Amino acid sequence: MPAAPSWPHPLLHPAAHVRAQFQRWWQARLPLTDSVTLTQRNVYILPTRPGLMLGVTLLVLLVASINYQLNLGYLLTFLLAGCSLVAMHVCHATLRGLTMHLIATDAVFTGATAIIGINLENRRPSTRFGIGLALLGSSHWSWTDVPAQANATVHVAFKPERRGLHRVPALTAETRFPLGTFRVWTVWRPAAQVLVYPAPEAHAPALPLGEPRAGDAAAAPGPANGDYDGIRAYRRGDPLKLVVWKKAAKADELVSRDTQQVQRHELWLEPHKTGLPQLEPQLSRLCAWVLQAEQQGLDYGLRLAGLDIKPAHGEAQKRRCLQALALCGA
Amino acid sequence: MLNLLHHLRQLPRDSRDTLFLLGVIAWVVLPQVSHLPLWCSLLSGAVMLWRGWLAVTLRPLPARWWLWLLLVLTVGATLFTHKTLLGRDAGLTLIVVLLALKTLELRARRDAFVVFFLSFFMMLSNFFFSQSLLTAGAMLIALLGLLTALVNAHMPVGKPPLLQAARIAGSMTLLGAPIMVLLFLLFPRLAPLWGVPSDAMSGRSGLSATMQVGTIASLALDDSIAMRIRFEGAPPRQSDLYFRGPVLSSFDGRSWQPLRSGLPARMRPLPNLQVQGAPINYQVTLEPNQRPWLLLLDATPNAPLLTGFEARMTPELQWLVERPITDLLRYTARSYPDFSHGPLRPVAGLQDYLELPFGFNPRTLQLAAELRRDPRYAADDGTQLIAAVLERLRSGGYVYTLDPGAYGRDSADEFWFDRKEGFCEHIASSFVILLRALKLPARVVTGYQGGEQNPVDGFWTVRQSDAHAWAEVWLNGRGWVRVDPTAAVAPGRVGSLQRLQAPRGVITEALLGNVNPALALNLRAVWDAVNNRWNQSVLNYTQRKQLNLLKNLGFESPSWEDLIYLLIGIVVLASLGGAAWTLWDRLRQDPWLRLLAQAAKRLQKAGVQLAPNSPPRRMAEQLSAQLGPEHPAARRIGDWLLRLEALRYAPPAARRSRLATLQHEFKRLHWPT
Repeated sequence: MPAAPSWPHPLLHPAAHVRAQFQRWWQARLPLTDSVTLTQRNVYILPTRPGLMLGVTLLVLLVASINYQLNLGYLLTFLLAGCSLVAMHVCHATLRGLTMHLIATDAVFTGATAIIGINLENRRPSTRFGIGLALLGSSHWSWTDVPAQANATVHVAFKPERRGLHRVPALTAETRFPLGTFRVWTVWRPAAQVLVYPAPEAHAPALPLGEPRAGDAAAAPGPANGDYDGIRAYRRGDPLKLVVWKKAAKADELVSRDTQQVQRHELWLEPHKTGLPQLEPQLSRLCAWVLQAEQQGLDYGLRLAGLDIKPAHGEAQKRRCLQALALCGA
Repeated sequence: MLNLLHHLRQLPRDSRDTLFLLGVIAWVVLPQVSHLPLWCSLLSGAVMLWRGWLAVTLRPLPARWWLWLLLVLTVGATLFTHKTLLGRDAGLTLIVVLLALKTLELRARRDAFVVFFLSFFMMLSNFFFSQSLLTAGAMLIALLGLLTALVNAHMPVGKPPLLQAARIAGSMTLLGAPIMVLLFLLFPRLAPLWGVPSDAMSGRSGLSATMQVGTIASLALDDSIAMRIRFEGAPPRQSDLYFRGPVLSSFDGRSWQPLRSGLPARMRPLPNLQVQGAPINYQVTLEPNQRPWLLLLDATPNAPLLTGFEARMTPELQWLVERPITDLLRYTARSYPDFSHGPLRPVAGLQDYLELPFGFNPRTLQLAAELRRDPRYAADDGTQLIAAVLERLRSGGYVYTLDPGAYGRDSADEFWFDRKEGFCEHIASSFVILLRALKLPARVVTGYQGGEQNPVDGFWTVRQSDAHAWAEVWLNGRGWVRVDPTAAVAPGRVGSLQRLQAPRGVITEALLGNVNPALALNLRAVWDAVNNRWNQSVLNYTQRKQLNLLKNLGFESPSWEDLIYLLIGIVVLASLGGAAWTLWDRLRQDPWLRLLAQAAKRLQKAGVQLAPNSPPRRMAEQLSAQLGPEHPAARRIGDWLLRLEALRYAPPAARRSRLATLQHEFKRLHWPT
């Protein structure tokens, strides 16, 4: 794991440095789990600024009651104090006993937003109000209520910066219900990982030329880039992607791209064919090509350092290739 | 109407919440309106109506400069009205306007908090003016409203019904009530920490320089302290505790005032004070009363020892200083309960004490004439006449009440013949009028009577509710003699200091105005009883009562430290109870589920990947996949897990013992690590 991105300088910001170090140590000792039940041990509580203000208000009310000898003032002060005490308990109980499950997260491309789904399970016979979830350290809260003995699902967005297999970032759940005088929160490190593909290049050049099929006698150069428009009548079993819908609409009968013609040449996607010097842009272009080839219904294979994926097409092939690209060099 | 309701229901959440908060603020401010300058009430009302209109019509909030403009105007107007920005009245005015102006920028949660906190000061300032049961009820509603608004502000999802927030706020208040009771009972009642700011007393000033029938009624409810006294040696009897204040000798038909004699000073009767017997030495700590009066026991021949003031005695024995007392004042004095004063023979000036306004109280004058004609009193020097009048008070069905209703023009007539009820003020006034009609020089003396001793520090406390009015009659050969007619009507009022009953407020009057008189009487009796209960138990809950409570709880000689210990003890007990509850809550989980969770924990420690909520069979499969099916630990644990699963579906009768077996085995299994 690389060092934390930007650490406060120990000399310039000693307090922030110590705090950050403490945070890291403290988060590191949290267990990795995809499902967490909140108990006294992992729910924390501190008064908020309005909570401290309430304390000051109570003190002023008390002093005024003493000074003016107002028994009704005492009653008001103590009732408010009692309510805040109860509110503290209610606030803590809003998270305590809640179970959070991580919903499996789909793979995403670098730069796209991954949506983390969290299922909140409330076994209590009363509603839990105003629970917010966010990535630890961000302030984009998703708020929800969890009805009595029911579940609620919250989505938190996260934008992975780099490709590869990433752990789902640490999450935090918080509530200030009912009075906002206390902040009750928990920190949760999910064990699940999310696969991040390279970002597909935005305007990638057309697919590279195919190679003559191994053992094919007519090893002539393949058709020009992307020029695969031989068509034939639709046959049962043709994938829908091969249907040329524009022509079908005009001709009133289904026509398919003639992949036979295409597949005289094998399309191999390889880093050196991108013509780019560095790995990351290469992978980006390869990623774009995989998507392009898949869209065109071509069979394609991928050759990376120490890895050969035989030409094929379909969702599984696409996934296999993208995964290989994501994990390349890892 | 339905249309309006429908429209309100259609409003977006923000508008609805704003309208609700405006309603709560109005409710908090409304009781204060009579104490606020008119412009303040009008401005706040207008601002809040404006804000409500903006909320309903979904218009944007006004620009900031509006707020600043209004704020500057308000501060200016406050300065103009009160000549200051400090002190209670100016502060109250400012808080009200700030509260109203704050609603104009009411967007964020933080603003809701500002409104919330300001409202509490408003609520507390209400209690300066009234601590009645009605005020308490109104403020309880206000508290619930504020809590509801705050709870609602912390329900960020959707548009939760306000009723739901109200229910949560209500249950919180209900749960907080025991804490309130506990703190109220046990929190030590301290003396004021510093002198009460001067204008704080204006709403409930103690004795006044004039006595218009009805003013002492509001004092009787005022439980604030007038002065504290420490006696050197044994304290005098309670019935001797007459603290002399203004003497009111001139009556114009409506109100009693200090004497403005037509005679030049040198012709007025001398005080001629003679004292005998043992003196009482004591120290007085007088709360600021904004008056130049020193309150001293009857009678004090020599000036009390005090610094910063020059004290002098009036011919009517009242002690005065040269300027109003605005700070806590302490002085020591020596008084003689056994004294006589005034001229012993008729002198010029005594006729001042016989004057009655013309055309008032004809029936009282007639009663006096009849008594005078009575042959039994023909040779009387006045003693028997006074005795007769007191006897009339004692046996004539006269009632001591703090709620005698409004008296009309002929107050003495009404008292003697129609209503036959009143409190010390009515009684003393009517008594003196009758005596004057009987040609006996008489005057009203006001001050305080009684007090109560604090068993902890031995100080006596005299409260505003101890304010009293009595009479003095001049008798030939004896001078001025104190007669307390109230003692004849309500012996408990003087001496043992019976607590007073609250008067009926305007609202009860309105509520009970049109109902069946018998029912109204019953309701009134109930209301009086409830009010009395309230005064006795809440407003009058003093340190003495607190320490009595401790005594009842078994403390030998309780002190306020004991209160603290008790409070701490209860907090510790409550925390222990909370901890026990938490433990029990944790154990409450199904024992089967707990055992399964323990097993899952062990397996996870061993590196077995388990899906959440996986059943035992699945756990066994995962384990054997990890260790290989032939691994002895996998076999044994797998077997155990399957039996655990089977137990879930076993008949209830066998469950307990089999669960115990499985629990026992769990500890002896060799878990992989």
